[in-house]
Amino acid sequence: MSTSAIFFMAGSWTFVLGLTFWSFYKLMQDKKHFDPDGIGPAGPPVPAETEQ
Amino acid sequence: MASSGSGNSHEAWGSRIGLILAMAGNAIGLGNFLRFPRQAAANGGGSFMITYFIALLLLGIPLMWIEWGIGRNGGRYRKGHTPGMFAAIWRHPAAKYLGAVGLVVPLVVMIYYTYIESWTAAFAWFSLTKDYWGHTTQEGMIGYLQSFQAISPEGAPVYHKPWTPYAFFIGTLFINIWVLSKGISGGIEKLAKIGMPILFLFAIILAGVVLFLPAQPGIGATPWQGLEFIYKPDYSRLDEPGVWLASAGQIFFTLSVGMCTLTAYASYLSKKDDITLNGLATAATNETAEVVLGGTIAIPAAVTFFGVSGAMAIAQGGSFDLGFATMPVVFQQLPFGNLLGVAWFGLLFFAGITSSVAMLTPITAFFREEFGFKRETVAWSLGALCLVFGLMHVYWLQHGVLDEWDYWAGTFGLVVVAVIEVILFMWIFKPSKAWESIHQGADIRIPLIFKFVMTYVTPVYLLFILGWWGWVDAIPILLNEKSAGGGVLDPANTPFITFARAVIVLFAITAVVLIKMAWVRNKYDDRKGFVEVDRSGEGA
Repeated sequence: MSTSAIFFMAGSWTFVLGLTFWSFYKLMQDKKHFDPDGIGPAGPPVPAETEQ
Repeated sequence: MASSGSGNSHEAWGSRIGLILAMAGNAIGLGNFLRFPRQAAANGGGSFMITYFIALLLLGIPLMWIEWGIGRNGGRYRKGHTPGMFAAIWRHPAAKYLGAVGLVVPLVVMIYYTYIESWTAAFAWFSLTKDYWGHTTQEGMIGYLQSFQAISPEGAPVYHKPWTPYAFFIGTLFINIWVLSKGISGGIEKLAKIGMPILFLFAIILAGVVLFLPAQPGIGATPWQGLEFIYKPDYSRLDEPGVWLASAGQIFFTLSVGMCTLTAYASYLSKKDDITLNGLATAATNETAEVVLGGTIAIPAAVTFFGVSGAMAIAQGGSFDLGFATMPVVFQQLPFGNLLGVAWFGLLFFAGITSSVAMLTPITAFFREEFGFKRETVAWSLGALCLVFGLMHVYWLQHGVLDEWDYWAGTFGLVVVAVIEVILFMWIFKPSKAWESIHQGADIRIPLIFKFVMTYVTPVYLLFILGWWGWVDAIPILLNEKSAGGGVLDPANTPFITFARAVIVLFAITAVVLIKMAWVRNKYDDRKGFVEVDRSGEGA
């Protein structure tokens, strides 16, 4: 592959993969929508050992 | 104020990941794996990628947010269909009728798209059973494909029973309607949770196999030369309007904007749900499937087995030749080729079905919300309609009716819908209200520059595309000066094409009449709007 083709491929892949990983990283961080239908608790269940 | 329609017809997503997978599944379709690499290779390689990413930032992602915003705003009034969504944005009698395009376009596309999807199911079966084994040339496989489609030239060998394409079409349509009848959470979301991981697994396996293909005797090309074929920049083409339009068109189709499926899916969200990050994650997932995986399979495989010039000729022949003729030739020369064929056509099938099930969601929501019909009744009734007009495509494929519908609904119609959406949401609803609406419940703030982009750049970009395509393609096609599939129109096909257009017009007239009936039945007042039913986030 020529240098310019490698440059464009690497740039394209970095951009889309970077955007994907960043957006899913942000999604995983968020606890607000643990229960999107609004019926259950707003946060994840508390682990059993913490309750004890 | 007027009520918000009939019955307890609104549904909800079961989980956030289910929503994103369903949205991404809707966006990821056949175009990601067949259309993208062809477009990139044919339009300047690396230069195409520059214009492609500019279109993604100025057109694709802004339109994505606009559609999510329109959809969720409609959901506040329990409107999962564009007539209701548009009427919620613009309190004018004309708004609901503009929404008719949002019922007709996805219905029309769904009918012929399901037929194409059935080819992938058929070829997955033919791969598993090695039915096409022995057709080791491009021409031989094209003959096999034509035999399956029952469009073989006079005197050409026939390898399939006449009922074969009908059986696969009916089976594929049945699966689509069955999933639709199970609803948002029980059908579409479950399909996405099963189908999307399989799709990515198949795509990663195939990309890995293709990238390590050895150079073939007598050809000497490697898959990396295929990647060079896609990415090598031809800077001289950056000043060609055609390259900019091709990249904008690809962004448009790949994200499924203008199809009214994103709006329908987003209507099942509440005000407290994020749409900024969800929208971005959906677009990013689609782009990964397209750029990283879609660009790594078909063209590099074609270059390895046919050389650069051979692959260029194949790419000129069209996406279907690449997917249904070239790839099977390649698989026949690889170990476990039949299983790789199952993976390839299985990948295309899951990419197709996660898109096609979305296309009947807007019209299903319309009948359920405005007339109080049960979901199953609507789904199977629409299934019967799709069967009748889908059979038209199976029977008249050689007469260009599929190309005609693909052009008017699947190409031009999408741009028309998007123009209406962006004007209603950003200009009539007003940029400040639109911006505020999009940011309700948001997990990330969209950079303020996008408010300017969505208000001015995206609409102008879209109007330019609409005007250009209207002048270059739509008018000549309408006047029968050229065919919708490209090339010169065969006069013998004119009656079939006229009939195909008449069906779309009939659908549009029916949609307008049904919208009028719904508004009268539910006593909606166009000037007062609907009663808000989504009270989430108030007084909580």
